[in-house]
Amino acid sequence: MEEAAAREEESRARAERKLKKAAQLLLFRQHRLPGVKGWELKRALGEDYLEVLEVLNAALDNLGMEVKRISEEGSEGAEQDEKAERDRFVVVLKSPAVEKASGERIDTIAMLSATLAYIISKQGKASRKAVEEFLSAKFPKQRIFFALDRFIKQGYLGEDNNVLYIGWRTRAEVDRKTLLDLILSA
Amino acid sequence: MPMKQQGQGKQLKFDELFRLLHFCQTVETEGTDPFDVDVKRFLRTLKQYQKKWRSLDELLLDAEAIAELAKIIELQEQWIKDRSSSFYVDPALLELKLRLLEPQQLATAFLAAWRPIIAQDRLTPQRLQEGLDYWHALLPFDERTDDFPVPALTEAPFELEDLIKSRLFSKQEFDEVLRELSTELEAHGRIDYREFIYTDSFETSVRKAYLTSYLVNEGRANLELNPLEEEIFISPRAVDERIEGDFGPTRSIPVSVSYEEWRAWKKQQQEKRNPGHERSGS
Repeated sequence: MEEAAAREEESRARAERKLKKAAQLLLFRQHRLPGVKGWELKRALGEDYLEVLEVLNAALDNLGMEVKRISEEGSEGAEQDEKAERDRFVVVLKSPAVEKASGERIDTIAMLSATLAYIISKQGKASRKAVEEFLSAKFPKQRIFFALDRFIKQGYLGEDNNVLYIGWRTRAEVDRKTLLDLILSA
Repeated sequence: MPMKQQGQGKQLKFDELFRLLHFCQTVETEGTDPFDVDVKRFLRTLKQYQKKWRSLDELLLDAEAIAELAKIIELQEQWIKDRSSSFYVDPALLELKLRLLEPQQLATAFLAAWRPIIAQDRLTPQRLQEGLDYWHALLPFDERTDDFPVPALTEAPFELEDLIKSRLFSKQEFDEVLRELSTELEAHGRIDYREFIYTDSFETSVRKAYLTSYLVNEGRANLELNPLEEEIFISPRAVDERIEGDFGPTRSIPVSVSYEEWRAWKKQQQEKRNPGHERSGS
């Protein structure tokens, strides 16, 4: 009887340790880009890492946050476990509770907002030249070049052969439907 | 005269195909309506010329045209999907709206739709120690400038991402090759690193060394160093070990794979296989 209780206690303590480790890995930056790859979590937490993340998600829910899984190829959400190892896991705010969560200048955010909306309306990709021309109606060219390069570096945009597309970070952080609705109704 | 006509006809075929190919590529890069390409007509044109192709260049052009058409059909499928999705808005309407909005309004819309990633930077004592170790190991700037020439662009390391971007390799292929290598290592157990990576061909050896670095990096194999004996052993990492393994501090280990070393290894192997050969030959 005592042995079973000790085993149960040990199992509970182990689960708690895993939960703490998962929270630390996800909330503190390990690499230049935020987030942790599935294989890293598996290595640190064990085969049941997806279950650990579910428990963490429930705990974060009370704080208005959630664990989000982002595929490098473009899809989101739960898919097969094997693929999860290649996906990136991040913690995001569930709803915009704070008014200012970034130190970016207002015109940089405006540029990002317009660029994303423009690209989304063009089926997810547009030539860099077209985006630059579109933005140049309101912003100086030099600032546009600098901002686009920065958005690419941050992961909000991707670039392939001078074609810009929606980056992994936009898929993780931006509710694209809400963005379009708000722009159209403004 | 007929020869000249034949030449002109051929030139016309090429011109038409190049024009169609260029049109397909423009649709792909500019993101214009893929239904502007008349796929049926394009296929009819290709069929019409198909039997007349003779040279390798002509056949390659034909293959390229088919590949471009396949991409256009894929884009058409995507186009229909996008139009039927909840994200679809008329691009012209949205563009007009975006031009009318003030930067302040655009920023407000973005912030309302933004769920930022929460990631905090933290300096740990271990990281500080690593920084200090790095500082101690670093030569003064004036002493190392000669040893560290500015690398030429062509000498930059070629990462897996570069290979995937260049379409030389796919992620699936890479994972499959890694799995095979992992199985091979498990069959060997603990083995001398060079024994494991060197094969009869130098190219394969370099490839194996490159892939092995991923096995180690992903925690699927262990490297043991014996600096005094200059020995390096590699062993598979048990699944239990990987699960229980701490994420703790990691370090990079440079292991050189040179042509000279490979040749010496190969010579050694040949001597092992034919111990008397050298003596009888001399």
